[in-house]
Formats: sequence, C-alpha cells, structure tokens
Amino acid sequence: MRWLTDPLAAPFMQRALLAALGLSVAGGLLGTWIVLRRLAFFTHAAGSATFPGLVVAGPWGLAPPIAALAAGLGFAGMLARMTRRGATSSDAATGLLLAGALALGIVLASDVYPSGTGVDRLLFGTLLGLSDADLWLTLAVAVAAITATAALGRTWLMTGFDPAAARSLGVRAARGDGLLLALLAVSVVAALPAVGALLVTTLLVVPAATARLLTASIGALLAASVALAAAESVTGLLLAYHLDLPPGPAIAIVGGGAFALAALATAAPWRSGVRATG
Amino acid sequence: MTTVIETADLAAAYASGPPALSGVTFAADEGQAVAVLGPNGGGKTTLFRALLGEIAVVRGTITIGDATAYVPQTERSRLDFPVSALDVALMGAYARTRWYRRVTAADRASARAALERVGLADQARTRFGELSGGQRQRVLIARALVQDARVLLLDEPFGGVDHASEQAIMDTLDDLRADGRVLLIATHDVEQARRWDRVLCVRGEQIAYGAPADTLTNAVLEATYGPEIVMLDCGHRAVAIQHHHH
Amino acid sequence: MEILHSGLLQRALLEVVVLGGACGALGVWLLHLREVYAAESLAHAMLPGLVLASLAGVPLLLGATGGVLAVAALIALAARDSRLGSEIAVGVVVTATFGLGAVLALAPDVPVGLDKLLFGDLLGAATADLLAAGALAVIVAVALLAGHRAMTLTVFDPVSAPSLGARPARVRLAVLALLAVAVVAAVLSLGNLLVFALLVAPAAAAMRIGRSVRAQVLLAAALGASAGVLGLVISAELDVAAGGAVALAAIALYLAAGLAGSSRSTARRRSIVEALGAER
Repeated sequence: MRWLTDPLAAPFMQRALLAALGLSVAGGLLGTWIVLRRLAFFTHAAGSATFPGLVVAGPWGLAPPIAALAAGLGFAGMLARMTRRGATSSDAATGLLLAGALALGIVLASDVYPSGTGVDRLLFGTLLGLSDADLWLTLAVAVAAITATAALGRTWLMTGFDPAAARSLGVRAARGDGLLLALLAVSVVAALPAVGALLVTTLLVVPAATARLLTASIGALLAASVALAAAESVTGLLLAYHLDLPPGPAIAIVGGGAFALAALATAAPWRSGVRATG
Repeated sequence: MTTVIETADLAAAYASGPPALSGVTFAADEGQAVAVLGPNGGGKTTLFRALLGEIAVVRGTITIGDATAYVPQTERSRLDFPVSALDVALMGAYARTRWYRRVTAADRASARAALERVGLADQARTRFGELSGGQRQRVLIARALVQDARVLLLDEPFGGVDHASEQAIMDTLDDLRADGRVLLIATHDVEQARRWDRVLCVRGEQIAYGAPADTLTNAVLEATYGPEIVMLDCGHRAVAIQHHHH
Repeated sequence: MEILHSGLLQRALLEVVVLGGACGALGVWLLHLREVYAAESLAHAMLPGLVLASLAGVPLLLGATGGVLAVAALIALAARDSRLGSEIAVGVVVTATFGLGAVLALAPDVPVGLDKLLFGDLLGAATADLLAAGALAVIVAVALLAGHRAMTLTVFDPVSAPSLGARPARVRLAVLALLAVAVVAAVLSLGNLLVFALLVAPAAAAMRIGRSVRAQVLLAAALGASAGVLGLVISAELDVAAGGAVALAAIALYLAAGLAGSSRSTARRRSIVEALGAER
C-alpha cells in the first residue's frame, strides 16, 4: 500500500498525477479520432516537430509551452501548405518536416546551445518541474477536447467514413478537420512535459488503439480510451517514480503491454471466427 | 460459334467466408459481349475475381478457353505515378517477362500496335495521369490486348467519362467483338446493357441470364436492385438509381 | 578543403556517399508505396535491440538486426487486425518499443550512450560499417532492378496486379525487408533518428523533378550521395553534429528541387485530414 501512498505524498507527484489525468481525458477522446481517421503519423510528427522549439525555449527566454506550440503550429501550417499544393504526398511531407525538425533540434541542442536542458528530458519527459502553466494548459486541453468531441464528433465521424458526403458538407467539414488538427497540435504540446517529444503517441494513440480492439461503438470507444489512458498513465507514473525512469517510456511500456493483452484476448483462436477479415 | 467461357452453378468465396456469389450459370460465344448488372456488393467483382482465379471456387465449374484480362476502373490506378501510356500498355507483357530480362522488342511493338488500335498512337508518350478518363480507359484496354487476352473483364468502363469518350470506348469494344473476343462488362446502366448480346443479373446469386429483351424486365430488375430501385424513363434512357454506400 | 585529407573524414565521406545513394534510391519506392511511416518507425523501434546488444557485449549490428526483425514481426502481427490498419499498428508498436529502448538505454551500465544511438556517429565509421554500407548498396541496386516491374504494378494498379503477374502483398513485404536491411546498415552511422531523413528527403526531391520512375530513382541516389557530402563538409567547417547536418542538407536539396521542378499537380484540392488519411 505504501507503494501507492508514498508517491502521493510528494507534491511533484501530485502535480504529475493531476496532469496525467487531464491528459488522459484529452488523449483518450482525441485518440479515438486519431485511430478512426488514421492520424497517428501526423500526431507523432507533430510531437517530434516541437523538439527544436523546446531546445531554443531556454536560451531565448521563452516559456517552453509557447515555444513548443509555435513549433507545432508551424509544422501543421507547413504541412497543410505542402499537401494543398499537391506536389508532395501528405505522408512524404509529414516525413520531411519530421526529419527536418529532429535534425534541426539535434544540431541546435548539440552545437548551438549545448549547455541547455538535457536532451533526454525533452525527448522523453520528466516527472519534475511541472509548472502551474503546464497544469492549466492540460486542463484547458481537456475541456477543449470534451467540448469539441460533443460539438464536432458527428462531423468528424462522417468525414472519416464517407468523404463524398463530407464534401457535400463543404466548408463545415474542412473547418472541422482543421480544428481537429489544431486541437491535436495543442494537445501534443500539453503532453510534452509528461511524456516528451518522441512519445506523445503514448497518450494520444496507444490507449485508443487498445480500446478499438475491445469495442466498436463510438460512445464506448471514447469512454474506454479515456479510462485506459488514465489507468496506463497512473501506473506508468508510479513505475517511473519507484524505478527512477523517465515517465514517457514507462507509460509507453505499460500501454504496449495493455495493447498486447487486448490483442491476445480478442484474437484468441476461439474468437477467430468473429474476427473481421481483410 | 465456339463457346469461349462457360460456368456451371459457380459459387465463389473470399477466404473462409460464406460464398459471396453463387448459382452462376452462363456461357458466352466468340464475339459476344455480356453486360453484368447488379448492385454494389452484389457480386460483380466477385465473379470477375473468380474468373481470374484469384479467389476460391467453392462449388461448380469455370471453363475458359483463352487468356483472360481484367480492365479496372481508371480511378483505381494511381494517377500521380510517373508512367506513360506506352508504359501502361507494356504492363500487359510483364507476366511473360522473366525478372532478369528486359521487355522484348516484339512486346514493345505489340504495345504500340495496341495503342494504335484503341486510337491513341499519338499519346504513347503522354503521362497516364494527364490523359482524360476515357483515354485512360482505352489505354487499359490496350494493356489487355498486349496480354493477348481473348476474354476481357471490364469494370464499369463508362464510369465517369463524357459522352464523346463513351462513344470512342464503344467503338473500341465493337472492334474487339468483331475480332471474336468475348467481353464481360460490369455496369450500372440498364439502358446500355440493352446494347450488348447477353445480360447477366447478379445479386449474391444469379437472378437471370439471357438476351437483353428477355432479361431486362421490371421483375428481374426489381429482384436485382431491390424494391428501392427508381426507374427513370426519359424516353431513350433508363437508369437504375440506388443509394451508394462506400 | 584540407578537411578532405583527414583519413577519418575520407572514410566518413565514403560511408555517407554509399549510404546516401542506396537510401535515396530505395526511398523513391518507399514514397510511391506510401511506407514513409514504416520507414521512420523501423529506425526508431530498433532501439531496444541496439541497447541490449551493447549491454550483452555483442556487435551492435547484430542487435540492430534482431531489433528490426522483432519490430517488423510485431507490426505485421498487429496490422493483421483489420480494425486498426497498418498505420495505427505501426504507431502502437513503435511507441512501445521506443519506450522500452529508452528505458534500457538510460540504465547506468549501458556502455554506448543514448546520444550515440539516437544521433549516430558518422565520424566513427569503421571498416565493418563501410563493408555493411557497400553490401547494402549492392543489395538495393539488385533488388530495385529485379523488382522494378513488380513494384510498378503494385503501386500503379494493385487491383489488377495479380492478373498481370505481381502479388502486391508479397511485393510490399519484400520492400519492407529491404527497408529493414537499409536501416540496419545505416543506423550506426546516421543514428536512429536521422537515417530516415536520407530515405525521405532525396526521394521526395527527385519525385518533384523526375518524369519517369527510373529517372527519379537515379536522381534520388545522386541527391542522397550529394546530401551526404554537403552535410559532412558543412559539419566539418562549422563544427556541428554530422548526422544533423547531413539530414538538413538533404532537406535543403528538397527545397531547391521545389524551386527547380515545376509543381505539376493533378490532385484535386481537398481537406488536409482527408489527404492525410486517404493515402494510407
């Protein structure tokens, strides 16, 4: 029991757990849309794209979330511009921006501002030093995710399953999609302090993918994603605390384990008859 | 007249599933064109894939005397891929070219001849994605000719092409029939189906097969498309309209 | 250009030219097949294999190979579930394995630093690395020549491919296997995070200019090799991280290609999310 209560006594852990719960709400809800709309690569790339922003935040005297947000929104904007013009396919454009951001971050971190904060921390998150601003951002993102899912869920669902029908919605579908991407970029930034730039998919993709194995109904999917994200991130944080690990990788391992269990349980031989075939 | 393609009580299924199409019995002679009518998901594609030997025949038989080629809808191909019309026609020779060999000069000549035959000799160097929908369809037909196919399975060859292109495709198909080739044409267009020699209606199973005049009755069409069918008779053109689900 | 006379740099130059050429050429097909995410993830996800090899004291190349094989098998397994599709499968597997790799790498008794595994060590290219790069170039060249027609059918018209003599599923698997070999050969020099840049950027640049696949492949190989040289020279002159400089040089070449190549676009305008989702 002390294994559970000891960490709670430490104020920095209380903050971390609070942040994890807020992120779970946002990550679970938005993760459902990521899984249904196949936006995992975008999410991962948006996370990595914040890396150079984080590196320069300290030396330039910027608040890290602001710098990361600028980098993340810059990424989304450039991606939109490259895809719209059609010269480069969207996944190639995503890849290019991702590679560019990482390379820029690495050059900046190792040569231009070598004395700055540890690269490990930026890439994989930290339990320490979650600021009030971080917590407020997390809360705001959670509220935004709930509101947007309630207001736009139907549009997002339709755009995903029937692009032709969505096109007839015209501007509304395009705006809805733009908002989804912007919301993803902001959530990625909120998730950075806890899980790091390379592992934002831990909260935004893995729980929802696991939930997708367990249920098909959209309501249950949203609820199960949030619940799984909360359970996985709290477990991961406790592991990180006791084993002295960075939180991002710890949550990633817990999430991967949960996914493997769900996959085994639902794909077991006696269930194979009901599995959808390719 | 020799029978080129024939099936008897054919049933076909995708991996370990129930049959997606069953009870298909039809025969087509040299030079005949068969319209295959049916709703989306009614089994047109399943029939083609069974005839191509790509999915399992779970009951009945298929007898095909000659090489068979599939002509897909042009929207299914990747239009941003940098291949010319000639390159696409040449794909018809790939199956007979060993991986360590180049495509032979004879096959190149045959690809040029095939493009000539569909009226696109002057577009050989044009990028496939830059051709019109109707021209692309004719290039894909040329590819089937390079395959030396005597049986052509055409998937909605008139989908999304304008009236002039439709006429050009029609001329090409008539030319192929005159040559003794057998055409199976999957289509939604009931009025157009009347143009061909035979009509095969499918909806999970065979509904009817025979000459257009005997087959295209209201009873058969209702059994094929279901009661929600709306027949628009605008004098010369009747079209089966249904709700599309993708 | 006195830097070119240093033995260390000559080896690094040779290494990066060969790797850049091979990765550039392979990249064109990866982009046409829309396997960019797989390319990125395979490099990331071999991290646990690398760390375990370094802990066990066996050659890192062995760890990289094991790591890639394990990850490829996991992705194939997860992608079999049609409810998720390959993109989400890749996302889940890479997240979990990368997390595991990071945890292992931060263990105090790992001899090789996390930095080196993530960012590579181009200037430390040993003879074995050069040999691996050379072997990779030969394998890629042979495979791309032999598989040209099958890959063409798979990309251009997967529906008809079986009746034209190619099996798309097998072709994809073969290309991913080739990708795994490339990533293993290149990862120690270019690093976990940056090997990917040489797979994507030269290919994307070549695809904006080349009018045929053959032209694109040759151009991408040339651009990949050039990016390597350019990046190394910049890195030596300005004293910045070699891997990062090479990656940035490759992206600079892509931008230059955008100015050179007219952007012919046949794609209709569409919502960006549709574009992101539809192409997988």
